[in-house]
Parts: sequence; C-alpha cells; structure tokens
Amino acid sequence: MADHDTTNNETPIDLDAIKEEWIGTEFDLTTFTVERDKMLLWARSVGENDPRFVDPDHDDFQAHPTYSTSLVSRRALPKDFPRLGKNGIDGGKAVENFVPIREGDTLRGAATIAEIYPKTGRSGTMIFVVQRMTFHNQNDEHVANVDWRMIRN
Amino acid sequence: MKFEDIELGDDLPSEHPDVSMARVVEFTDAANQPFPRFRDHDSAKAEGLPGALVPGIMSQALLASMVHRWAPGCTIKKLDTVFRGHLVVDTTLTINGAVTDVDEDTRTAEIDLTIASAEGRTGVMGTAIVSFD
Repeated sequence: MADHDTTNNETPIDLDAIKEEWIGTEFDLTTFTVERDKMLLWARSVGENDPRFVDPDHDDFQAHPTYSTSLVSRRALPKDFPRLGKNGIDGGKAVENFVPIREGDTLRGAATIAEIYPKTGRSGTMIFVVQRMTFHNQNDEHVANVDWRMIRN
Repeated sequence: MKFEDIELGDDLPSEHPDVSMARVVEFTDAANQPFPRFRDHDSAKAEGLPGALVPGIMSQALLASMVHRWAPGCTIKKLDTVFRGHLVVDTTLTINGAVTDVDEDTRTAEIDLTIASAEGRTGVMGTAIVSFD
C-alpha cells in the first residue's frame, strides 16, 4: 500500500514516489579548504581547551569534531524537489566522524537525500527530509558525514 | 575521566557555556554564517525572535566541548542534536549530560545531553557516542 500523507489538509503526498525518485540522488558537489584560522576560531569560540583543537603545534592538531557541520552545499534540496507543506523548520544535525580533519585538507562534500519520512504530532503531520553531506579528503579518505534534518509541515 | 571509571548513569558536571555576543560573533565568523539573527538583538527581534539566537551548530559544538572537558583525550565518533527551541545570546544556559550506555567491547560510551534556557526550557537535545583508547 502506498505511503500517503497530507500536510496542512492539502493534496495527498505520495511519499513512496518521492522516496523512489529522490533518495540517494547526489545533487551537489562542493569543495572546501580547511584553514587553520577558521579551525582555531571555531574551537576557541565554543570554549574548547583540548590542545588537539586549539594548539596548532600539537602532534594531533585537528578540526573540532563538529567543524564539518558548517560546510554546507550550495542548495539545501535538489532543484525541482517537491515542495512539501508550507513551512520549514531546522530539526537538527548529526555529525559522524571517521578520520580527523586536518589543517590544509581539501574536502569534497557530496550532498544527497538520505531519508524522507513522516511523523504525526499534536500540530499535525510533518515530513522529515534528511540531507546527507558526505566528506572525503584529498586522499579519498571518508572523513565525516553530516545529516541535516529539515522538517516540513 | 578514564573509560574504566565510567558507569552507566554517571552525570557529567553541569556547565554554563559562554554564549555572549562576542563568542557568538566569533563562531558565526568561523562558520561563515554572519546572519543578523545571530549577531544582533535588534535585528533578531525585528524578525519576531526573542533576541539574537545561538546557532544550532554552535549549541552542538558546545556539547562536544563539554564532553572533551569531562573526558580529556576521548574521541567523539558521533553527535546527533535535535533543535527543539530557541536559545538566546547573552543569557544563562545550562548544559547537562548523563551516561546512558557503556560498551566494554568497543570501549565506547553513549551520553545524552541537553541545553536548557534560564527558564528551564530545553532548547537542544543531543546524543554523543564517545570512544576511548
């Protein structure tokens, strides 16, 4: 049975069809250069005092584990992605780290739609769209994933 | 904090992070997010907000920093945060955390974290997976 949902009493949305069309589709590829000054400013501004993140002379100097959450794609959703509901809410981010991000790294960030699912609460049905940025460094090592939950209602 | 000393149910020491305008401006410079809603109370209020907002990803980073202070040298493998409500710049926020799982085989701990406003409203919830050498 198809997974249909409605938001704000509008025309039913065929979530199965939307998932079929969009999940896994890479819609943006952006390159980022990791700079010492930004690494340090990030860490110090959040009160970090672990030398790995605030001392450039430390043997294991690296970007703060949440640093990749600031590296965003040029667009949040693919061109022609269906408009789901009238309103959008930032539902949060999840970062998963595999390899430390180092000063001078060139990161390749690929954006895909990872998940689409409905949830129903007191205010009605909401559609969650998860955009995933997957980051690889210049050595083609998979350094991190960042999932961004966008809520439409 | 060493892995061997961690127990299920342990509380992390509460913290009141610095979310002064000076820190938030620094963070938004580092994050390439120089948006007025984060950096100016009047601009934020003109948008209907209670004041300048602490960026969601700054809240996330504050949680990570707290974990590092609790267990120096640990590695945050994953940090998932849910943005539930606004947290305002230049206010007193409280971060709390508790250990909710310990895996002896992988030498990892799972920690549930929250950031609450001065009024006690939870603005951010997070779950961290932390590994130890």
